[in-house]
Amino acid sequence: MAGRIGIGWIDEDRFERSKRVRWLDLQSVFESRVLMIGAGALGNEVAKNLALSGFRKITVVDMDHVVGSNLNRCLFFTPEDARRKESKAEAICRGIKRLSDEAEPEAVNSSIEDCNESIFSSSDIVFGCLDNINARLHANANAYNAGRAYIDGGMDGFLGKVMISLPPDGACLQCGMNRSHSKVAELRFSCTGKEVVFHERRVAGEVTTTSVVSAIMVRESLKLVSGRRDLLISNTVFYDGQRNVCEEMEVELNPECPVHVRR
Amino acid sequence: MAVRIKVKNAETGATVEMELEHENTVDEVIESAATFWSKDMGAYVLRKGKKVLRGGTSLKDAGVRADDVLELIPDPEGG
Repeated sequence: MAGRIGIGWIDEDRFERSKRVRWLDLQSVFESRVLMIGAGALGNEVAKNLALSGFRKITVVDMDHVVGSNLNRCLFFTPEDARRKESKAEAICRGIKRLSDEAEPEAVNSSIEDCNESIFSSSDIVFGCLDNINARLHANANAYNAGRAYIDGGMDGFLGKVMISLPPDGACLQCGMNRSHSKVAELRFSCTGKEVVFHERRVAGEVTTTSVVSAIMVRESLKLVSGRRDLLISNTVFYDGQRNVCEEMEVELNPECPVHVRR
Repeated sequence: MAVRIKVKNAETGATVEMELEHENTVDEVIESAATFWSKDMGAYVLRKGKKVLRGGTSLKDAGVRADDVLELIPDPEGG
């Protein structure tokens, strides 16, 4: 059957420019289900990129609420959200809906550790937009065990990192960790009498670095869902925004890594 | 047997020479270099070329040789 077009049709299609990227499988993008863990600065930018790229089924997990210090780098948060202590996950889901009518975001107001493991297996790709090593380890292990790609982002000021872990054969995030990571993870928990104190290390946050890191994360997911694994980073990118240097490095699978020993 | 290498600080470009044994581990090099540069408490990785070296591995098993230049890179934790 012949198609039908009108004058100016080329500017009416929301994804017309995306379709010009020949390898991009937009139908797969529309249909994929993604899990985004963490709704802070990185979560805001990843959510924006996901929604504008055409992802529709987006689950956002975060237990926290918006505060004033988020507002220098979080697109979807407003001073009113901070005043009302809005849920970060819900504020981001509302933002996603503003960008895309067709999106079906779901907010989960919980820590990822308290979520049912099925949240991993019911997703096609997992994004780690977290701010601590313990939650990252949890997300990494569960995504790997569910056989789901895990794309982790991290930042500190002008420094950034993205790692992609691809089960069943690829290295995972924990394969690349060492004793310095363990020390930082242990610092988070310190017992003072009966109470547990969480040491929240305040890390420098800077939106241009967040933008770069989130762009790499979502770009890799577009390659994955489009079946272009040949274009993926292998398997880590370090970004130094002070020098504007981006370097690809490889973390090798560690057979003694707890994630792999378990399997 | 001793092996002399250089470690480069990725944040500043500074280098430090270290004399080590083949049995020393990557973790030990990371800790020594981070302490030398008075680095903030945080996670770091050490790379040789494009490879991120495994923490518990000895320098010998990691393939580190005399005169190698390894780079100490902060592993950013924030989100």
